Amino acid sequence: VAAGVVTPIGGDLESFWSGLLTGVDGISTIERFRVDDLKVGRGGEIKKLPERTADVTCRATRLLATAADDLLARAPLDADPARVAVIVGTALGGVEELDLALADPHDARHAAAALYDAPAHALAARLGVRGPVLTVSTACASGATALGLGADLLRAGTVDRVIAGGYDVLCRFVMRGFDALRSLTRERVRPFDRRRTGLLLGEAAALVMMARDGEGPAGLGRLLGHASAGDGVHISAPDPGGRGLGLAIRQAIAEAGLGPGAIDLVSAHGTATPLNDRVESLVLRETLGGRAAAIPVHAIKGGLGHTMGAAATLEAIACLLAARHAVIPHTLGFEEPDPECGLDVVAGAPRPAAVRVSLSTSLGFGGCNAALVLEGERA
Amino acid sequence: VSGVAVRAVGVVTGSGRGVARERMRRATRECLLAVDAVDALLDDGGLTRADVEGAETALVYVTATAYVASNRAFIEGGGGALHFPYTAPSAVPAEVAIELGLHGPYTVLIGGAATTIDAIAHAATLLHRGACARALVVAVETFEASADVLRRGALVGGDVPVDTAAAVLLERGGASGGDVARVAAAGRDAFACAPLVALARERGRGGRMIELTGCWRGRAATTIVACGKEG
Repeated sequence: VAAGVVTPIGGDLESFWSGLLTGVDGISTIERFRVDDLKVGRGGEIKKLPERTADVTCRATRLLATAADDLLARAPLDADPARVAVIVGTALGGVEELDLALADPHDARHAAAALYDAPAHALAARLGVRGPVLTVSTACASGATALGLGADLLRAGTVDRVIAGGYDVLCRFVMRGFDALRSLTRERVRPFDRRRTGLLLGEAAALVMMARDGEGPAGLGRLLGHASAGDGVHISAPDPGGRGLGLAIRQAIAEAGLGPGAIDLVSAHGTATPLNDRVESLVLRETLGGRAAAIPVHAIKGGLGHTMGAAATLEAIACLLAARHAVIPHTLGFEEPDPECGLDVVAGAPRPAAVRVSLSTSLGFGGCNAALVLEGERA
Repeated sequence: VSGVAVRAVGVVTGSGRGVARERMRRATRECLLAVDAVDALLDDGGLTRADVEGAETALVYVTATAYVASNRAFIEGGGGALHFPYTAPSAVPAEVAIELGLHGPYTVLIGGAATTIDAIAHAATLLHRGACARALVVAVETFEASADVLRRGALVGGDVPVDTAAAVLLERGGASGGDVARVAAAGRDAFACAPLVALARERGRGGRMIELTGCWRGRAATTIVACGKEG
């Protein structure tokens, strides 16, 4: 696995990682569209994108193109284009294009890009690859599901390389939705903190290049196991008992051929809503058993906002970078532990630690849950 | 060759069979069509909900369009807390999962007919690696409420396809050998539903090994499924 990103705290992989370690806060007042009629107008907005992708008019596609440029600058695509798949996750796809198309009854360009799979196909065309092109939309777990599907295609021998990951754009559509749900906080985002009051949204794209063991360019690490599971309980809220997330975690660890004792780090979904963090903590304690309170946990949404389709891929990349550099970023916004959570959340400053195997968890609207087990190597 | 067998299929079009459940009073038309198609599938297979509920059934959902109408209604209607969760494509399989009590592997893919072939291949992978005992592949497409936008974007032609939902229940195994019926599901027929509709039609004609081809956005995908496990 090699990686490329564009995020509110850094426009490439190095600045993303240094932003996590130095505690850069990517949350700001949203400037790209009107927010004056919303209760909350802040989020993880990317203020500037590189000129080299200025030819791409759809912002979602531009985020993907920017992350792809970052990825390919460090890991050239050296496979038959017909044997390369593009698999990206998104919660919102091209919804901003639909919004623009509806505003002009004669518009054709935005209408053509309104379906959620348009950005993935645009990325495949930009990269010149001709293998499978898949768009995953398991809401905020999309970026994890995409990596899992990529691993499956490689294992089946269907393709030789997979460009996989996730993206989403911070747009008026989603801000209005979460504003109506009253999920957005007026305070700072505080994952697992006793005083947490909700989330803020962000935008990002994150891509990895996946290959079978020994075949790809030198990379960050390996995806050892993955699984998804549905809640089948509620259209938007997580199952209070966390059954789907628990199934996904257990199956991902089992697929990796490991036990809970092998986990060195948990990168939590950690949205900072009171319910999400409570459910996630409960499930982590149940699935990781007696060691749960001793395994370091971090959550990156405090500084980026919830980047939806990109979030799980960013969190997977953060796990691999933590292993490479033997240090776990702290959880921005976490200061006062919530006794109901009972986790060892990394707080205040990055924590030096030998990390090999990580668990990354994701939950999304519609009862979508996903878990990844990753192995990184110290540089 | 997918190495999976078709246990049951269900297809509904237009207004469907008319799901009427108090629990789903806020659900979108797309959700109702999906649940309708799964009801038809259960009838086809002589199955009850108890036969599929739990963590042993994977749910793979595919659509190209079955969120555009709800997105549009949210954009044009001023939005609301109750409506917003239904703008996500994942709302449709969520209602199916709630209705049937499914907790198994769960994937949502966006795309047309070729993507449905990818969904069947993904279901086969889940079955072969033992992640589930059966896999439910569901597709829904709705065109009526967003036909003007789809036409403007050249995503549909002059004749707008009929709203459709289709479902297939897959299991490991399947007949091998014998004649293979080849069915091409053109993308514009019913987008993601097209391969499942073609499968249901060919199975109704007595086809035992069915090769399905789907096209979408210039890409073609093909798989072979068996109807019946004996062989």
